[in-house]
Amino acid sequence: MNWLNIFESGLLPLDDWVQTGVDWMSANWRGFFQAVKVPVEVVLDGIETVLLAVPPTFMLIAIVALAWRVAGWRTGVVSLVAMALVGFTGMWELTMITLSMVIAAVVFCIVVGVPLGILAARSDGFASGIRPVLDVMQTTPAFVYLVPVVMLFGIGTVAGVLATIVFALPPMVRLTNLGIRQVREDVVEAATAFGASPWQVLTKVQVPLALPTIMAGLNQTIMLSLSMVVIAALIGAGGLGTPVFRGLNSLNVGLAFVGGLGIVLLAIVLDRITQAFGDVDPR
Amino acid sequence: MIRVENLVKVFGEEPERALALMEQGRTKAEIREETGLTVGVNDVSFHVDRGEIFVIMGLSGSGKSTLLRCVNRLIEPLSGSVFLQTDEGEVDVTELDDERLRAVRRDSLSMVFQRFGLLPHRTVLDNVAFGQEIRRTNRRERRRLAEEMLGAVGLAGWEREIPAQLSGGMQQRVGLARALATQANVLLMDEPFSALDPLIKVNMQDELLRIQSELHRTILFITHDLDEALRLGNRIAIMDDGQIVQSGTPEEIIVNPKTEYVADFVEHADPTGVMTAKTVALPVQTRRFDAEDLGGGRQRYVRRGTEHLAYVLEDERFEALERDGQRVPTRPLAEALEDEAPTGSRDDAVLVAGPDATLKEVLQGRIHSHLPQVVVDGGGRLLGVISERELIHGILYKTANPDVEAAVASQAAQEATA
Repeated sequence: MNWLNIFESGLLPLDDWVQTGVDWMSANWRGFFQAVKVPVEVVLDGIETVLLAVPPTFMLIAIVALAWRVAGWRTGVVSLVAMALVGFTGMWELTMITLSMVIAAVVFCIVVGVPLGILAARSDGFASGIRPVLDVMQTTPAFVYLVPVVMLFGIGTVAGVLATIVFALPPMVRLTNLGIRQVREDVVEAATAFGASPWQVLTKVQVPLALPTIMAGLNQTIMLSLSMVVIAALIGAGGLGTPVFRGLNSLNVGLAFVGGLGIVLLAIVLDRITQAFGDVDPR
Repeated sequence: MIRVENLVKVFGEEPERALALMEQGRTKAEIREETGLTVGVNDVSFHVDRGEIFVIMGLSGSGKSTLLRCVNRLIEPLSGSVFLQTDEGEVDVTELDDERLRAVRRDSLSMVFQRFGLLPHRTVLDNVAFGQEIRRTNRRERRRLAEEMLGAVGLAGWEREIPAQLSGGMQQRVGLARALATQANVLLMDEPFSALDPLIKVNMQDELLRIQSELHRTILFITHDLDEALRLGNRIAIMDDGQIVQSGTPEEIIVNPKTEYVADFVEHADPTGVMTAKTVALPVQTRRFDAEDLGGGRQRYVRRGTEHLAYVLEDERFEALERDGQRVPTRPLAEALEDEAPTGSRDDAVLVAGPDATLKEVLQGRIHSHLPQVVVDGGGRLLGVISERELIHGILYKTANPDVEAAVASQAAQEATA
């Protein structure tokens, strides 16, 4: 044995194991993974159909109106300029596809992430158990899990959304957990003293008071989803990632720029609107 | 209404380990040394009658807040019982399962907190309606109740504000209204006024007494402030190291502190609002008076040192005060206090106080007359006289007149021989 380089003595075939494992899963658990795809597919198709069916002018008005109502006239103006620019650079349809992917991913992140965050807030054991899992989900380079995602779920928009969910879920869980833990103990105690059940304490006190923090988590989740969109285009997810990806392959700077600009503008609009959700006026 | 029996709370792992040591009478510090456990409440028993304000007073760390939280099991007691009179009869709160405990908290026990515990995201009205909302009362009814209670605490018109926009005193009024709005008979109040400015605090105490005189709830009140305890409490229990060291009426505590700990508290308390005329009055049937029998059951008593004054009694009932042989008109103390300014000379009348007139009232009476005041009971029997000496003695030493007990003892002896 070479003591100067102990690693020569033998290598751990972890890569083979993972390969074998994923191969085995895709062969034997096919039914399970297809079943997971179904709800995502249904939600995604529904949103996409609606967003593409609405005439772009109406859609533009609707987005601006929403931004104005939720976040004030400044955000309304910003949204108008941003979305108009997207439309006039020919990216409207792709933007709507991306938007529907983001919405679908975020819906599932909320459905899964908020309950997990609540569980984590209630149990220290669960919180410390789930933390490394979230760390792995957030730090693993996206490209690494695109391969197994493709093997298990195939290519296409649904697989892209699933990869996006994995990547964008952690802040939802973390900030829900944090928000609920930050609710003042005396307020929870008061609610309990008045005979509130754990469910009533959760819905009438903890979640409402944690809402600004949960909304910050939602905002982060949306931003992460958007940043995943380009990468998801690699596995045929479509949307604004496609021109970026195609521009990269054919050295078409203009095309890549227009696609990238669309992502940035959509991000700005979504960010402003969702940040405003956090400032809830109790009246 | 509430009956707490042998309540024990120990904090730490395997708290049962402390029980045997507590039975041996070890102190909190010794138990902590030996087991690492903290005794919060050490074998406490007391009862609160319907319509009464029962005050538990102690310094921080005395276990008073823990004790209060054991009553509605926000803190789970280790052993002991809490019997509570509810609409469905008496229940032992410590025996209830989760569902029934919640029902008791919703319907029979409400609470006011030191740091208010208001929901910052809700309006004042929705905060007050919270208890009724938990009880699933319909929206209209709970709004009506909440508005009524806000009116009762003097916050009508503030319904739409959120708590952060209110001052501390007003926030606690909201807390009080919230507790009242559940219609629970028992109110647990955990140092509700401790976080408030001194003036606001006194205001709130008056407010509580006023509301209590209208609504007659049963109140278990926690405080670290003896003056507050004396003002509010029908009875007071003083806690130290997790135990009740003395309980009784405010006057009993002031006049007769049983331990050094209680005495330390009492030393700084203002006794004038608590001590009563009957306690400080000097009975005439004592060695300081010379008696002269006038015949026909009438006696004349003259106090040594003030020979120009004579108290004339008939069958132990007060008849008149003679000054240099002239009768001085009598006037009830309560009537004199209704005058804003003294009328006439301060020698005009002798004031007659009831047995439960406070020292403060007697002092105020001195503005109207500097003659000694006489204290008579409901039947007109003379209980004693209060001159400057008795007043000063009562305020300075916070004890009953030393001659009272001697007089009571000699009277008992006389009755025994008769």
